[in-house]
Amino acid sequence: MSAVVEIRGLEKRFGGIVVADGIDLTLTAGRVLGLIGPNGAGKTSLFNLISGVVRPDAGSVRLDGRPLDGMKMHQRARLGLSRTWQNLRLFPSLSVLDNLMVAPRRYAGESLLRLAFFPGVVRQAEAESRRKALQILERTGLADVANKPAGGLTFGQQKLVGVARALMNDARCLLLDEPMAGVEGQAYQTIQNVVRDLAASGVAVCVVEHNVAFIRDLCDEGVFMFAGRVLARGAVADLIADPRLTELYFGT
Amino acid sequence: MLSADIIAQILWTSLATSSYAVLFALAFALVLKVNRVFNFAQAAMMTVSFYAAHATVALAGLPSWLGFLAALAGSLAIALLIEVLGFRTLRRRRAAQMFVFIFTLIISELVAYIAMLVFGTWPATIFPSLFWPVTLVGGIAVSAWDLPAVGAMLLAVAALFGFLRFARMGQFMVAVSDNPDLAELYGIAKERVFLFAMVISALLVALAMFLYGTRAQVQPTTSIELMLFAIAATIIGGIGNLWGAAITALLLGVVQNASVLFIPSEWQGFLLYVFLFLAIVFFPNGIRLPQRSRRLTRKTPTPTLDASPTSDPQKV
Amino acid sequence: MEYLYTIIILVGLYVVLASSFNLVIGYAGLISIAHPVFYAIGAYGSALLARDFGWPAPLAMLAGALLAVAASILLALPSLRVSGDYLLIASIGFQLGLLEIIKNVSWTGGAGGLTNIPAAFAPSTPHWVYAVIVVVVAALSVLAVRAVAHGAYGRAMSALRDDELAFSMLGRNAVAMKVGSFALGCGLAGFAGALYAHQFRYLAPDQFEILQSSAILTMVVVGGLRTTWGPVVGAVMLQALPQAITFMNLPPSLLGPLQGLLFTGLVLVFMFIRPQGLIPAADVWTGAKEAHDVGRR
Repeated sequence: MSAVVEIRGLEKRFGGIVVADGIDLTLTAGRVLGLIGPNGAGKTSLFNLISGVVRPDAGSVRLDGRPLDGMKMHQRARLGLSRTWQNLRLFPSLSVLDNLMVAPRRYAGESLLRLAFFPGVVRQAEAESRRKALQILERTGLADVANKPAGGLTFGQQKLVGVARALMNDARCLLLDEPMAGVEGQAYQTIQNVVRDLAASGVAVCVVEHNVAFIRDLCDEGVFMFAGRVLARGAVADLIADPRLTELYFGT
Repeated sequence: MLSADIIAQILWTSLATSSYAVLFALAFALVLKVNRVFNFAQAAMMTVSFYAAHATVALAGLPSWLGFLAALAGSLAIALLIEVLGFRTLRRRRAAQMFVFIFTLIISELVAYIAMLVFGTWPATIFPSLFWPVTLVGGIAVSAWDLPAVGAMLLAVAALFGFLRFARMGQFMVAVSDNPDLAELYGIAKERVFLFAMVISALLVALAMFLYGTRAQVQPTTSIELMLFAIAATIIGGIGNLWGAAITALLLGVVQNASVLFIPSEWQGFLLYVFLFLAIVFFPNGIRLPQRSRRLTRKTPTPTLDASPTSDPQKV
Repeated sequence: MEYLYTIIILVGLYVVLASSFNLVIGYAGLISIAHPVFYAIGAYGSALLARDFGWPAPLAMLAGALLAVAASILLALPSLRVSGDYLLIASIGFQLGLLEIIKNVSWTGGAGGLTNIPAAFAPSTPHWVYAVIVVVVAALSVLAVRAVAHGAYGRAMSALRDDELAFSMLGRNAVAMKVGSFALGCGLAGFAGALYAHQFRYLAPDQFEILQSSAILTMVVVGGLRTTWGPVVGAVMLQALPQAITFMNLPPSLLGPLQGLLFTGLVLVFMFIRPQGLIPAADVWTGAKEAHDVGRR
């Protein structure tokens, strides 16, 4: 098993608030890692630091051995980093299918010059990404709503679209930010299956989630974060059972 | 050629002309800070207040204090119209930022065209003559316009400072500019605060425009250029930083006046666009004072959470 | 007849300007008022290359358009790097600043204007030829903007307008796309300018003032933002309307402001009473080919 993402000594503070205080963490291919911790522990901030939304004050992030420091978000994504957002961030003025079709790692239609001089290349790439998008929609049970505007779906379906969109990247590493918040029933099961399949295919997955049952069922390993630090790493059941961590989680 | 006298003269002239520039910058920066709007309609307020004073004093021959009142009234009327009929509607509709931009800009152009139709495109003034008697003070020429103008500016700045610091409405404004939604939770009515910011901006604009119009000729399109100067100062001074904008306006005035020595006069106006471009390219977030701000973050105590038990960090 | 051809040419050029501005402000969501100045760059660039350097007109026109592209990238790159808001301010400064330069240097003819621009064709060529060329160029521009806006690029622009952060996280380069669409729009405007220069053979800086900005903006807003035909309808309508005013034989000192009042007033009226314009845009993006699928659903 190889390390996909290596985080070393990551530090970030906003004014007086420390969101990352020397974080060292490795995400391994084929494994699902759960991030646990109270609100404000720095879980989403860690995602923001890895994906390049926020610049760290110190420390480094590597993807497949390649340093990402100083890279912009889209450059990281093109190297195979994919993520979802706590508050969805779908494109409401696109249909579900188009939400996915705008998301492949390489998007032929992004360059005006290529559009003008190699329309055939673009057409072919579009057909390919459409096929792939439809496949993913089939797998996530969204095929029926493929042509509906993304903003008009139920919340659970929108969550699924968020995950489905992140799959278009063929990512080496997938960061899922609260994929289960507000999701029930069929969608819950679907997300679980998709994530498991993904890990089985060799992707490094990291999940931030408050739903403890989901974390326990899905994750191979857990990490407990508090005040921008990794306090403990181990089997999820052990972390949940630790009374000191429970106390930190719920406060005193 | 660069004698002490010349330098002193340039500094003094800059200070005098900055009287209106500082007020324009403050008016623009205030609305940007509180209402979070690039209020390009400020040019409309400027145009209306000038022509109101021009009509009262130059055309109707009424005393100058009436002209000043007319400038105030004109500027206020436009500000209220813009806020109540324009901004409120756009906010209620949650209109895209783009529409707000277009709206403010179009209002300024509309007012300029109306002014052209009513008053013509020729340069106009408030008083028949722009000449002010000059006295020599230790080698520096000080005109009779300079002192009252600088005095009025200082008074207005002091009043604004005091208002924001001590008056309840002023404190509300600062609160709303920090976080409008939070302020709403504490029972501060956003709508009233936004209106009030526009009113204050209108008062500053009227005073500044009256000063400008008693010293220089004005055309319907002059206001847009004056406003661009204010925008450059606001950007360089740091968006949201009123006093930074005011000081920058002063400094840009010095540069512009000093440039007389180095560049031909027909290129003077061009300097404004250089400022604007430099501001956007090099100081998009304003000039930060690096040392001070760094120390501020470094010295903040780490939160007490740090003391929590971390005895066994690796529990694998 | 002569007069009719002139009107057709003017309307055609404004169709190019309005469609390309719709690409910038509508589809790409970039706020700039400097569109007339790229029109000016194309016009002056082409005119000077043809007049003072002896370039053949078609080549000079292309070069004029490319100059406009280069200038637009120069303007957009630094301002878009920071935030979209700054492009508007930069564009105001760019427009007024560049016109100030044109007025003050001698080789552009200064404030008096540039004269003796070589015509595109020999004097014996019938006048309708140029009108046909302009109409073809206008049609091609409309189709080009439509193809861009409803193809893969348009899908990405739509996503970018919705949520720039999520867009970037998918691996899309937001700044490059904004600069790209801005450059394309401005390049089309530059080409229109070049076409204008070699037909009317006289250019003056005040043809490209803010009055022009509001005219083009009005055409797009009144016609319908983010639609293919909205800007066309707007351009035809608003080009015909001022012609009617021209017939009233007003002195030029009144004519300019009156037109300006009309344009800005129309924008305000439409903005508050019918923000979607004459032709409303669809809420959801549709691709050129998928449009049928979605309709049938």
